[in-house]
Amino acid sequence: MNAVIMNTPVYMQALDNLLQVYGLRKTFGERLLFDVPELSLKHGQSYVLTGSNGSGKTTLLRILAGLEPAQINSLYFAGRVVPAPKICTQLAPRVIYLHQHPYLFSTSVAANIAYGLKASGLNLRQRDAKVNAAMQWAGVQYLAQIPPHKLSGGEKQRVALARAKVLNPEILLLDEPTANLDEEARQQVIALIRKMCDDNHCVVIATHDPELMALKDAVKLRLENASLQTQ
Amino acid sequence: MPLLNTTLEALRLLFSWDATLWGTILISVKVCFLALLIAAPLAIALGFVLATYRFPGRRLAIVLVQTLLALPTVVIGLILYMMLSRLGPFGELHLLFTQQAMVIGEAILAFPILAALTLAAVQAVDERVAETARTLGAGHLRSAMTILLEVRFAVMAAIVSGFGRVISEIGCAMMVGGNIAGVTRNITTTIALETSKGEFVQGIALGIVLVVIALAINIGLAVLQGRGGLR
Repeated sequence: MNAVIMNTPVYMQALDNLLQVYGLRKTFGERLLFDVPELSLKHGQSYVLTGSNGSGKTTLLRILAGLEPAQINSLYFAGRVVPAPKICTQLAPRVIYLHQHPYLFSTSVAANIAYGLKASGLNLRQRDAKVNAAMQWAGVQYLAQIPPHKLSGGEKQRVALARAKVLNPEILLLDEPTANLDEEARQQVIALIRKMCDDNHCVVIATHDPELMALKDAVKLRLENASLQTQ
Repeated sequence: MPLLNTTLEALRLLFSWDATLWGTILISVKVCFLALLIAAPLAIALGFVLATYRFPGRRLAIVLVQTLLALPTVVIGLILYMMLSRLGPFGELHLLFTQQAMVIGEAILAFPILAALTLAAVQAVDERVAETARTLGAGHLRSAMTILLEVRFAVMAAIVSGFGRVISEIGCAMMVGGNIAGVTRNITTTIALETSKGEFVQGIALGIVLVVIALAINIGLAVLQGRGGLR
């Protein structure tokens, strides 16, 4: 690549920032939910997103995953322009969003974890190896052949994390991952999120959980009064 | 006890493996299965598209499908008769009074029920299904298949309902089939003919077969639902 281009500030910034969004606005009719002039997510950095109920945390994560339309002036992923309507098509599964209550397909736990790998065209042998490793990572091997409706909330959350982890996402967007979990399940989920952060994934966590809010080395973002502040 | 005696006589006729009787049953089942084989993929695809995508004319298409649901079978038979008769646009194909004509008629009858029930099932599916599929990297086709797999029991119930409609109808089969013995005479046209002659034994025997077929299909569906983990 041309050395002049490589040394330009824009290129250097693109290398550092995995995702950059400029001029992000979300409105519901007349009501402005938020207006974020610039948002950058860095490689391997974790972020904790807080804000009162209704401030738009979930909506922001869904926009970044391409699951919700919004007004966006420009969006760059790893230095490349991504048109706003194509965020999901072009970035999934490099960017994965996890619902507050994850949906598990009505097959088995193992088949759920294999879902994205199958979509990526990986052969059965490679898939099995990766699925086993992901189940071990999440401590859900004993659930491999169990239908999802028999799982507890915490187990579902761990399976969903394994299903995302197996795809090695560069950005993982977690929407209140510990909400409505009992203490034991909460600790298990937090341990997995810590491992994800330590494994150099860029993890963005929308949460009210004090333990997650105090996550070591995480950048604290607060969405309040329609604007996003770094704390 | 004329009803009991006739029923016993009908059972005796059934288990004597009477070639004409079982030939009639075979024609009915064959025509129904072929009709469903043709109608199901197209109707399920249409139901899915109507439930998922927004496009001009969508509402009109939904109204049309729902109207076709209520259309009497004899009207469909009449229209098809006019199309296939010698002076009709498809008269040259010489399909009138053949099993092919019956298959076409039954497929048209099954189509709206399959499309409308698939539409309702897909509309009712949790929106997290499509979002989860997309965020895990599934393309449009895989997402669509995932949604249909999640509502597979509703789709199967639609197919069973479609089968129920076509195997039990008489108007269309009579008009385009012509009730030719050994060729287009099926269960319902035989019952009508035999009853008009005052011969109830064959009619009741075939009625028993219809009930057994309906029972077997519904038991099969219930077993599948049980294996699928539905409570």
